[in-house]
Amino acid sequence: MKVVITGIGVISAAGVNLPQTLETFQHVRRNADFTSLFPIDLPYPVFEVPNIPEKWQGNRIRTLSLALCAVEEALDDAQLSDKLSGLRVGVCLGTTVASQLNDIDFYDTYRNTGSAPMGPVDRFLKGNLAEAVAGAIGADGPCCTVVNACSSGSDAIGVALSWLKSGVCDIIIAGGADELNRVPLCGFGSLGIVSDSLCAPFDRDRKGLNLGEGAGIVVLETEPVARQRGKNPLLFLAGYGLTSDAYHLTSPHPDGIGLESALLKSLIDADITPQDVCFVNAHGTATRDNDRVEGMVLARVLGQDIKVLSTKGYTGHTLGAAGGLEAVFTAAALREGWIPSSAGFVNRDDEIPITPVTKKTPIYGHYAISTSLAFGGNNASLVIACTESHS
Amino acid sequence: MEGQKEEQLAKIRTKLKELLIDSLSLEDIEPEDIKDDEILFGEGLGLDSLDAVEIVVLLQRNFGLQIKDKKQAKNVFYSIDTLTRHVYANRVK
Amino acid sequence: MSLSIAGIGIVFTRGRGIDSYDDALRQGWIPPSQIELPYVPDKPFLVYQIEKETLTDRSILKRIRRADRFSKMAVLAAFDAVHDSGITREDEISSLGIITATALGPHTTTFRFLDDILDYGDVNVSPTLFSHSVHNAATSYIASVLNSHGPTVTLTHFFFSFHQALILAEAWLNEGRCKHVLVGSVDECGAVMEYICSRKLRTAQDGRIKPFNFSPFPLAVPGEGSVFFLITRGECRKRYCEITGVYMGTNNIEEDRPDMYVIDANGLTEDEIKYKDTLIPNALVAGYAPVFGSIMTGSSFNCAAAALMLKNQVQYACPVQDNPFGVNLCAMTEHAQIEEIQCIKNSCDQKKAVIKLKRS
Repeated sequence: MKVVITGIGVISAAGVNLPQTLETFQHVRRNADFTSLFPIDLPYPVFEVPNIPEKWQGNRIRTLSLALCAVEEALDDAQLSDKLSGLRVGVCLGTTVASQLNDIDFYDTYRNTGSAPMGPVDRFLKGNLAEAVAGAIGADGPCCTVVNACSSGSDAIGVALSWLKSGVCDIIIAGGADELNRVPLCGFGSLGIVSDSLCAPFDRDRKGLNLGEGAGIVVLETEPVARQRGKNPLLFLAGYGLTSDAYHLTSPHPDGIGLESALLKSLIDADITPQDVCFVNAHGTATRDNDRVEGMVLARVLGQDIKVLSTKGYTGHTLGAAGGLEAVFTAAALREGWIPSSAGFVNRDDEIPITPVTKKTPIYGHYAISTSLAFGGNNASLVIACTESHS
Repeated sequence: MEGQKEEQLAKIRTKLKELLIDSLSLEDIEPEDIKDDEILFGEGLGLDSLDAVEIVVLLQRNFGLQIKDKKQAKNVFYSIDTLTRHVYANRVK
Repeated sequence: MSLSIAGIGIVFTRGRGIDSYDDALRQGWIPPSQIELPYVPDKPFLVYQIEKETLTDRSILKRIRRADRFSKMAVLAAFDAVHDSGITREDEISSLGIITATALGPHTTTFRFLDDILDYGDVNVSPTLFSHSVHNAATSYIASVLNSHGPTVTLTHFFFSFHQALILAEAWLNEGRCKHVLVGSVDECGAVMEYICSRKLRTAQDGRIKPFNFSPFPLAVPGEGSVFFLITRGECRKRYCEITGVYMGTNNIEEDRPDMYVIDANGLTEDEIKYKDTLIPNALVAGYAPVFGSIMTGSSFNCAAAALMLKNQVQYACPVQDNPFGVNLCAMTEHAQIEEIQCIKNSCDQKKAVIKLKRS
């Protein structure tokens, strides 16, 4: 059963929608700076969304604002805005920050005085991301939030694929969203994997990641449902592979066996061979470990000459949003026929057998892969396809 | 003088052992079970990469020490002894 | 839907293991612990906590020395579910799917990390605490301890987290992503959450959750714990029962009358009157939250009770039998012929979920 992508929407530091984002990619603009959202005693640049559209600014939960902005674009693209009633529409979203009760002011007040206002707690209890989005758009099908750390967005799309194949519902809004927050910035800093300069994925001299924020959303439908609505979709979600390293809480398996397995499973799921893949939107966080392991595995499975990029040079590592954003970028690239340069990459690392693209590159072919690796050893691989090829 | 230095080294060594046991959740180990020249990573205590960054924070908090980079960390974190001597030579607190 | 429950593992206030749970269900209600909240010393707080000794197991936990209570609960329950199922082949365990449901995640570790930020500053925080404050740390440890490389996911949807996990488990088995799935829930108490409970919940001062009061202002006694089920469609040495349906929605679901309802009334939602409206008149009803406490993912515990009843053909007496509406509640623990049980969860915003279980 074919699962089609009928709409895509995105917001990040690279742009508040897809056209703006593609413009940023074309001009290799990297919109990073110190955060304006909260005071912090750390010298790390971040990729902050400078201007959430006013319509979505009212939300007290920033992640929800980001999500709703991207959802609106995706629903418009799918021609589903205001048309959800009567359809079984599910929502499956990945996040990290929005699932945690980590309000520092609340906790500080509680520690100092023994009591604290319940506002942050109430927001948290009403703020399950998928549930909140479903409520905002009037989707009354299943909804669920995936909290798989850095692969949450990809895995939410994977869950949605499973739901559609099982007939749980007809249409699903899937992807990921996450906001910049002091807590993970401190946390990643303590792990020694954050760079004090702009990140350089796969580069010989890479020093670590930059955090970012955003949301990436896809509208998924079964092909019969989409055609019944009069849609003739170009894009489809061809396959998904998910594995666990079972190795370490914060480091990937040094041989990348988990990622290799996820990649292979996604190829089998999509019924394609490595030769069918025209490019990979890699996880590419710019940490020493991730890029070395991921690069080695991509070369091993897809060949050293596979076209690779990391879009984290434009968005930062958006944690729970990353998989969603990168699925959208992968789909858009297939549709538009080009991938941007892998921003931040200058010098090849001899330990990494693949070389990211260094300029805007035309792509030819029907299939592309988006990979995500997460804390806890999750490895996710999405195969996205386009019925039209630009060859 | 030498005696004073040895005494201070011994104090630091003991404190480090206690801090390591506590911060790294080393179970069923007392400070006296850890040899003075115990190797920290690989064999010996068998610590890993997450422990390494935890030790970096431990040194910052307790002794005001920064570890510059991975190369320095590799040398300083080799054993209890190298760690102790580094703290002795560079501590701020 | 037809999923076999082949193994169950459980860690809760009265111990560890499905046999402990069976004992507790037979024993009935016992008083919760009385603890002092750190900043509210003159107001004792009632809670069903897990004892420290329950979470010690050198052989299983020695590989995961840094794991916090949240992860330890989940690891032990998951490990026990696999052991209970009798599945021992390495290839089957290494390809297990693992789906963990949690309503609140490892919040005690999150607050400890916030302690670090507040006490030591942004620069001197513990990376170990940070790495354990992510919701999927527990699942990661389960995979690690079992050496399982199959698909793993952690889901959160407050009261319906466990239901979503079951739905996904079925989908994975349909797709052939794995042959067996470990599905479970984990949620913990902790000082800050206990404070929040003291503010937001009405606590039962006599320590008794009363599921059949169907009160618009129900009373709770917070609890914590983890339950995991080894779910399969394949051959298995042991079979508790079959899960034949998981239904979610806002509509009142018309169902055939089961032999028994188990209701997840536990004082955590604002209004429990809906449970009364759900029941077909005179149907046999039970509710076991008074045994394990008020937990957002408590549906998994009631599901485990239902599985035990179907396997052993026994009905457990309701631990608290206050019954102002005179429903036909299960008053005695005794042998019974039970073919189908429905576990029902209502939330405060009119949502409802039903898990249907049938005798194998």
